[in-house]
Amino acid sequence: MDSRFLMTLQVAVVGAQKIGAVPHGTRVTAPIASGHFEGPRLRGKVLPGGGDWTLLRSDGVLELDLRITLETDDGALIHMASFGLRHGPPESMAALARGERVDPASYYFRTTTRFETAHAKYTFLNHLVGVSSGDRRAEGPIYTIDEIL
Amino acid sequence: MQTRPLMSLRFSTAPTQNVGAGPHGTRITFPITGGSFDGERLRGTVLPGGDDWVIKRLDGVLELDLRVTLETDDGALIHMTFEGIRHDDAPGGPYFRTLPRFETAASQYAFLNRLLAVGRGEIRAEGPVHVIEEIL
Repeated sequence: MDSRFLMTLQVAVVGAQKIGAVPHGTRVTAPIASGHFEGPRLRGKVLPGGGDWTLLRSDGVLELDLRITLETDDGALIHMASFGLRHGPPESMAALARGERVDPASYYFRTTTRFETAHAKYTFLNHLVGVSSGDRRAEGPIYTIDEIL
Repeated sequence: MQTRPLMSLRFSTAPTQNVGAGPHGTRITFPITGGSFDGERLRGTVLPGGDDWVIKRLDGVLELDLRVTLETDDGALIHMTFEGIRHDDAPGGPYFRTLPRFETAASQYAFLNRLLAVGRGEIRAEGPVHVIEEIL
């Protein structure tokens, strides 16, 4: 499938809320405090108030459900929602849990992304689906997001 | 983004249910009556009973919201959903892409529980065809 680079996005997570064992797995909600994004067609910052609602399933796969608001450097607000999966060999997952830097090629961390905006300059985002590769860092993940062409 | 082929999926549909203008746009439901899918790693038929709940948004773009059950040729059931966008008037030509997800209890297909996918849709006379690739 052809794709084209859209942006990199880094978010900062603070104070993970460990909700614990729920009917579908183990739920941890990660509030997003800040962040920034940068690409040839848009750049700006992540507003505080979003979050990533994660669920560790019984098969060891982590499901991610991210909702954040982006603010571009020219003042447009963009609603962004992603669904993702993260899994990998036990040693990589254990190292991530300890907050260590792990080569993102050693595990699967992908998301699919949708956008909504009312700003005329960015309406192209309303008309595309995105996919991303994630690099989980202790301070928060970095996503490389591509537009599916 | 690297991808690899997963399957081609064809649906047959019953007459649409034109629910009409609602708060999010014009709602049209496409009942799925059957279909088939095939790829190197899985093939089989689409069971009747699923639907694609479609909204035509105020900007003219169709949003798809599909749920179906697939049955493989060796008897496994796979729950499949996708959301998608169909924008027939896109500047570069029709844009019809979906984001399928899968759930199964069959161990030989458990790899489907662990992947994300993208699909490219095509409208053909006999019904829609989706070429689905795994995101690597």
